[in-house]
Amino acid sequence: MLQFVNTLLTGLGQGAVYAAFALALVLIWRSTRVVNFAQGAMAAFTTYLALLVVESTGSWWVGLLVALASGLVLGAGVERVVVRRVGPHNELGAVIVTLGLFVALQALASILFGAQFRSFPAPAGLEGFSRGGVTIALTPSMLITVGAVAVVLLGLVALFRFTDVGLRMRASAFDGEVARLLGVPVGRMLTLGWALAALVGSLAGVLIAGGSLVWPAYMDTVIVNGFVAAVLGGLDSPGGAVVGGLAMGVILALVTGYVGSDLVPLAALAVLVAVLLVRPQGLFARTAARRV
Amino acid sequence: MRRSRRVRVLAALALGAVLALAGCGAGGRPDSGSGGGGSGGGSTIGITADSVKVGSHFPLTGVAAPGYSEIPTGTKAYFDWVNAHGGVNGRKIDYVFRDDAYNPTQTSQVVNELVLQDQVFAILGGLGTPTHGAVLDSLNAEGVPDLFVSSGSLLWDRPQKYPMTFGWQPDYEIEAKILADHVATTFPQAKVGLFLQNDDVGEDAERGIRRYLDKQIVSVQRYTPGNTDIGPQMSALQAADADLVIGFNVPSYTALTQLQGLKLNYKPQWVYSNIGADPVLVGSLLGRFSQGQVTDTALLDGMITDEYLPRADNPSDAWTAQFDAIWKAHGDGGALTNFRIFGMSQGYAFVQALLAAGPNPTREGLVEAIEKGGTQFAGPWAAPYRFTADKHSGISGAKVVRVTGDSTAALGPVRVTNNGDAPITDATAGETPVPPNGIPAAPGGT
Repeated sequence: MLQFVNTLLTGLGQGAVYAAFALALVLIWRSTRVVNFAQGAMAAFTTYLALLVVESTGSWWVGLLVALASGLVLGAGVERVVVRRVGPHNELGAVIVTLGLFVALQALASILFGAQFRSFPAPAGLEGFSRGGVTIALTPSMLITVGAVAVVLLGLVALFRFTDVGLRMRASAFDGEVARLLGVPVGRMLTLGWALAALVGSLAGVLIAGGSLVWPAYMDTVIVNGFVAAVLGGLDSPGGAVVGGLAMGVILALVTGYVGSDLVPLAALAVLVAVLLVRPQGLFARTAARRV
Repeated sequence: MRRSRRVRVLAALALGAVLALAGCGAGGRPDSGSGGGGSGGGSTIGITADSVKVGSHFPLTGVAAPGYSEIPTGTKAYFDWVNAHGGVNGRKIDYVFRDDAYNPTQTSQVVNELVLQDQVFAILGGLGTPTHGAVLDSLNAEGVPDLFVSSGSLLWDRPQKYPMTFGWQPDYEIEAKILADHVATTFPQAKVGLFLQNDDVGEDAERGIRRYLDKQIVSVQRYTPGNTDIGPQMSALQAADADLVIGFNVPSYTALTQLQGLKLNYKPQWVYSNIGADPVLVGSLLGRFSQGQVTDTALLDGMITDEYLPRADNPSDAWTAQFDAIWKAHGDGGALTNFRIFGMSQGYAFVQALLAAGPNPTREGLVEAIEKGGTQFAGPWAAPYRFTADKHSGISGAKVVRVTGDSTAALGPVRVTNNGDAPITDATAGETPVPPNGIPAAPGGT
């Protein structure tokens, strides 16, 4: 029973990170209609910057702030300098460009920060809570992760549902020409979408790194599972991304604990195929399926 | 539009030309090796009257680089030392090592370069089971001596199929036997869990462990390298009530198991294989988590592992003192580590083999000399090699130790065994004395 609870908790902790990552994908999808495959490499890059800051200042929180700020800048920069040149009606081209960015950024991180394993400090304790001699796999650091994801989720929902900027961003993504005719600064909205998405991605990067090891490719599994989580929840829906992320975390933890760790990638693939076959628009999307 | 098309055509032409040139480059030297008819009818590629060229591949970057990338720096320092003392039979050793990033595709590429372009005489200490496994066929087809592979896989001991390949360190099976035997006698009541890397390492180890602990094992968990989330496996070990866990894993996973144990408040007696147990390296990974909440050595204190080479932190050992002097003279200024001692010991082993092959070694002569005299080669290693014409396995034993702080304490004498159901016995030979200057003497009583 304790094993089941602990496996579940481990899965939820991991799932929270997938959720944060899926949120970043949803954000960029809703605001620009592009799937950003470079998200993971961008997050790894900003996490390394955070690590430098954490090591020199000794404060995890300052590191987090630096990661978020540099994510914001990096996201805006990527949109302005690279993605915009592909053209407004060339979504496939933009996707391919993000794949190229993914490879390039990962290589750049290896060159700048070295390719070896490095430890990343945790925001808080790494020891599980215990009561009456029973310790559950829930740590203060995990609570911070879950809390951060909840805050981001609420923030995003509020942004898109209740603010003018959110509405403009959605309008620019949905139909740039019409939005422009209505006076929406479409270019600026697209940049903002990328910047916010990269910020959320950076958050995911720092959250998963805390209390574990980082190397330039450490986000690779998160990219795959976060993408599956986003598709599972429906690329359009922030709530769906969170549910999808948590579900992926739990499913993969259960597979690892009770079936075998070698089947984890296969399980992720099985979920992806099942979702695309049965409900291609995802569990929570209200609109009809779109081709990615 | 027209202009861009012309640019494209030009680019295509240029690309074609480059490819054609590259093709010529690769194929343009098939006969350069056949000049080595040499004495005794063997191949003398890579060896001249005053030099011998040796190549190797290591992960200098990537996930396997921590620690392992230091090995060739040790070997290089040792060869520089030997060269400064006149070389081997007047020949200077020219050591070339290349980065394969622990990626078998890259290993094939860099080893091809070493063999075809650099024309090395032999490959020494190539690291890794999947990586070196990828070049096993080609090295043997080319007839290149493939000495002292840095991996404990049983793959290197197939003299019928791979006559040029020799292992070096105790293979995972005998290492597991020695550790398991210690556990069975010291902890007869323990409920044993296994934490294994999901490949040859884990398979060979499990075979060795089950010979002694089959009835005590309560859970076997595996991890896939690259997936750092090992929480479920640790929960399963805890749920099975395993109070002693034997881990055959790489160093980063030693750190991860300790972190996860902290999370679950799961503190079994840990027994790690030599490959995953370097206390300095693991301590440096662990020491920086959580801003001091995890102190570097506290978690590792008391874990059990095994050793078959002198340790860097033990300057009272004559071999360590000698290696320290060599490292001070020819090292890169960094600290002498266990990994560098590993590399230097391999360098020592190579010089010894080269001397045994006589004044005019050929590739075939080198292999023959190791098969003939290999069991007698003594050096810094704890137990003799098992090299004969029918067996290409390396060091035959190790001693079980307990980690205390950054150092270790022996839990008994060196134990020696062989693959399969061979018994485990105490080593008979004592420690090998350090030869003058730390350079092996030519065999045959000279």
